[in-house]
Amino acid sequence: MLFFDLLVQGLLQGGIYALIAIGLTLVYGLLRILHVAHAGLYTLGGYIAILITNATGSFTLGITVSMVSVGFMGMVIYRLIYQPILEKPPFVALIASIGLFIAMEEIYRIVFGAYGITFADAPLQGTLNIAGIYLRHCEIGALLLAALLITSLSLFTRYSRIGIAWRATVTDPGMSQSFGVDVIKVRYLNFFIGSAMAAGAGSMVAVMNNLVEPTMGSVPSYKALAIIVLGGLGNVRGTVIAALIIGVAEAFGTIYLGNILDRDSIAFALLILVLMVKPTGLFSKG
Amino acid sequence: MLQVNNVTVVYGGVTAVMDVSFKVKDAEVMGLIGPNGAGKTTLMRVITGTVKPVQGTVFLESTPLEGKPPHKRIRLGIGLSQQIVHPFKSMTVLENVAFVAGHGKTGHPVMSVFRHSRAKEKQKAMEILHVLGIDKVAEAKPENLPLGYLKRLEVARAIALEPKILLLDEPLAGLNQLEARQLADKLLELNQLGHTILLIEHNLGEVIRICDQLVVIDNGMKIGQGEPHKVMDDAVVRSAYLGEGHHAAS
Amino acid sequence: MQYEISLLTIMGISIIAALSLNLIVGFCGQISLGHAAFLGVGAYTSAMLTKAGVPFTAAVAASMLMAGIIGTVVGFTSLRVREDFLAITTMGVGFLFLGIVRKQDFLGGEMGIAMIPDPGLGKVGYLVLVLLLAATLALFSIYLKRSWMGFTFDAVADDEDTANLVGIDVSSYKLIAFAMGTAFAGLAGALYAHNIKFIDPESFGFVESITILSMVVIGGTGSVWGVTIAAGVLSIFPMWFQFIDDYKLLVYGGLLCMIMLFSPDGLSGIFGRFLNTIRGKNFNASGQ
Repeated sequence: MLFFDLLVQGLLQGGIYALIAIGLTLVYGLLRILHVAHAGLYTLGGYIAILITNATGSFTLGITVSMVSVGFMGMVIYRLIYQPILEKPPFVALIASIGLFIAMEEIYRIVFGAYGITFADAPLQGTLNIAGIYLRHCEIGALLLAALLITSLSLFTRYSRIGIAWRATVTDPGMSQSFGVDVIKVRYLNFFIGSAMAAGAGSMVAVMNNLVEPTMGSVPSYKALAIIVLGGLGNVRGTVIAALIIGVAEAFGTIYLGNILDRDSIAFALLILVLMVKPTGLFSKG
Repeated sequence: MLQVNNVTVVYGGVTAVMDVSFKVKDAEVMGLIGPNGAGKTTLMRVITGTVKPVQGTVFLESTPLEGKPPHKRIRLGIGLSQQIVHPFKSMTVLENVAFVAGHGKTGHPVMSVFRHSRAKEKQKAMEILHVLGIDKVAEAKPENLPLGYLKRLEVARAIALEPKILLLDEPLAGLNQLEARQLADKLLELNQLGHTILLIEHNLGEVIRICDQLVVIDNGMKIGQGEPHKVMDDAVVRSAYLGEGHHAAS
Repeated sequence: MQYEISLLTIMGISIIAALSLNLIVGFCGQISLGHAAFLGVGAYTSAMLTKAGVPFTAAVAASMLMAGIIGTVVGFTSLRVREDFLAITTMGVGFLFLGIVRKQDFLGGEMGIAMIPDPGLGKVGYLVLVLLLAATLALFSIYLKRSWMGFTFDAVADDEDTANLVGIDVSSYKLIAFAMGTAFAGLAGALYAHNIKFIDPESFGFVESITILSMVVIGGTGSVWGVTIAAGVLSIFPMWFQFIDDYKLLVYGGLLCMIMLFSPDGLSGIFGRFLNTIRGKNFNASGQ
């Protein structure tokens, strides 16, 4: 059963990574910016979910408020930080983003304390036995949420008018503008959806660990960068697949590679290996 | 001087250049013309090595260029001026040309650290700028200059390499009639100084005026070659390249 | 006095680290987010060798060589990937370094290496050595900037493709930048190890890479003076004012973000524009 246990844990972790990485890859596709501070929003999502749940007793309300408010926060970051430097060389936005991320983590530490905060009464902690694999309700919830959000995103971009315009803009910003797509609106939408998905992931991780720490986003942040490169920057489907691969590789790697390589560097080992063979990522076009 | 033999280029299943051959003789101005998308720039890139042909060879004098990376081909004696101007933005106009004029000092990467005098190169760059008539803006940064100057800067940089042959990709594009004529005259002057030139150009009037020979390409295939007036009188060239509209108008 | 000496030593080491990264990022225009790993390579090499009885000077030389070799290998990656990818790849190299070192027992694993031998120069002697090396690297950087290698780095940083099309062997120049930058990082790492006498993986993590990068960026990428001053100030500032230490990262992060927003060419850019304004005013005053 160890095999299936590891597989399920890997897919679960991969789903969380996917929710974070999708926002990153969307921002990259649209603006060619490596939005490192995105993981700061993931952490913020966790904080808001715990605070609202503790105040109202409803986790559903907590995660909803978290996703919506963090979505707006993403739009604010775009407006204040990225929009003024879009014309500058790419490293400018990258370093600004790293600076913002570090500052965000420090603000969380100063405001909420270095040890983080927990749920007063953690929801979804019961377990369920599915074919011999024990999963907590929150883990199943996280899997379902990831599947739901990713599916709706793909339906949205395929069938709704604004979704199609969005997809066109990510593929070719110049061309879609000449077809009358409101590029500015698409950018805001992009940041809203990407950030809201990250907040959803942050909220579920908050429940699974019953803890949100200031540095919760550090490791996922950099790992998500590795994932979007593997997925072929700007490619949503590739990103989801790469996220699941990394999740599963880590689950198995911890057991089988534990003596030579730290869990958190497996993603990067894979990344460097792949780039050596195919410098454009696993799933890039052409 | 330059020999292109049976070159075929395929991009993602589409044949961009089909079995094209031509020769550029010493001290000649050869024009390479054809409608948009005919494959001219692709041919240029085959010569500089940024595009790999599926078939065919390129010789510079008697040296085969196959398998050599772009920077090595350039150093064998090819001076390139690109269609879209690419000045080094952190450098002044003079530094742009002086940097290239110092090709002897940058040839060996490790040794380049032991060389620091730039006086000779600046002097040489100034002479080239003077020939092209842009010495007045020598100390300006490229980003503040109009396209006419930048186009000439591209040509100046190509000359600074002291190449055996100049490859000029649409040096006149984007210039007004007067500027185009002036730059074309400069090219003729350079030719009289002994430079061999391969010129891709849309401005037919100037091409016919300054070229000794023309090669016409359409849809990746060579459809004509010879002296400018003869080539332009050819029926196939007229219909394929100029189209019916032009025919009626003339 | 002891305290001031140790502050100045740390300052000197930070300057070497920042100037070494400046060779790669500032001069050659290649972004690197994993520079601390090369300090780590140098630190571990020198620590292991001196503990095995190798003399200090030889161990430091070996650590530069080791870091330079590994840096060149990473440099090969830079030839295969471009800008955005390079940022992530170098970051990955940093994490990979940590991930590997943590699991190696002979390198002390998570616990690190303690009791690293003293070079035997005394506190003041060591300080003088560090400052001399920092000054040498600064002078070398200034010389390099003026040499034809520096000129070529300018071209490569501006536009690789065009540099290639004017006959520049871009790959070799990039590799040289990586080799030099990482070798000097190895030097900084070795000096750090023998100063603190204790190293562990966390001393060379991502935050350290970003700290070094912020020194370069805040000083002004490519500006030797700007980077030296920024590294000097940023390295001792938080220690001098202990109360800031708690907010050190917030200040770094905020500064990085603000500098990028308002003056991407750093302090040297601000200074340059300031000079121009003064000159411009004088010119206007006399000219009109």
